[in-house]
Amino acid sequence: MSEKELVARAQAGDFDAFSALVTANKTKIYALAVKMTGNSEDADDVVQDTLVKANDNIEHFRGESSFGTWLYSIALNQTRALLSKKKQTDLKPIEEYLPSQPSQSLDEHSNSKLFDWKDPHTALEDQELKEIIDRELAALPYKYREAFLLKYYEELPIKEIAKIINESVASTKSRVLRARLALRERLAEIFKEQYG
Amino acid sequence: MGKKCREYMGEINDYLDGELDPTICDEIENHIGQCENCRIMVDTLKQTVVLCREGKREALPAALEEKLTGLLRERWNKKFGK
Repeated sequence: MSEKELVARAQAGDFDAFSALVTANKTKIYALAVKMTGNSEDADDVVQDTLVKANDNIEHFRGESSFGTWLYSIALNQTRALLSKKKQTDLKPIEEYLPSQPSQSLDEHSNSKLFDWKDPHTALEDQELKEIIDRELAALPYKYREAFLLKYYEELPIKEIAKIINESVASTKSRVLRARLALRERLAEIFKEQYG
Repeated sequence: MGKKCREYMGEINDYLDGELDPTICDEIENHIGQCENCRIMVDTLKQTVVLCREGKREALPAALEEKLTGLLRERWNKKFGK
């Protein structure tokens, strides 16, 4: 049965159809919630609140996006509400991630030369590396984190991400890039300290 | 960092994700061949995404799944008067 048919059945009161829609999406919603909140307790709450909202509002789903995209939107609203209690800092503008002087005239130890971290797996255990990545992802301000995760974790196209986060395509692209640059910079600092 | 580095910075994700016009890709590749910082920036930005994609997706805990099934059915029945 197609998603469209399942939605029509669910909107007519068929719980099994609703359940099939949820089953197809709940694991990825949970995985995204864990990455967004940084812990399983908050992720449990986000998933529960998301599915309850979807349940209570199924008649308002107009099929303009996929059911999964609709669930992502609800889940990210829930996450935002949860994280809005925590102070969020902004990221610096794109050009500030670049060293201030051209690299060619600089020696290896100059502060203006970026640290070339190579493959961190050769210096760090997989578990340690995973913890570093999860911690630094969770430290990104959420409006950047959600854009980054939808792009590189959920592998959604930019246009769809823009729709989910209710931003223009240009703004969405900028958020994804700034998140990637900020994460890269933090990892460079950590790896330099650990094995630079 | 030169003017070119800044100019290409805004396009770097499209370049890395294969979504950029081939002519600009060629320009960026030429630049990377001559600019060590931009070469490092490109390599480590690639690695950043690779590292984030590694590792398993967290599976939905069985206890939460069980709880959700009961909760959703109960609310559904109430909503549709079953």
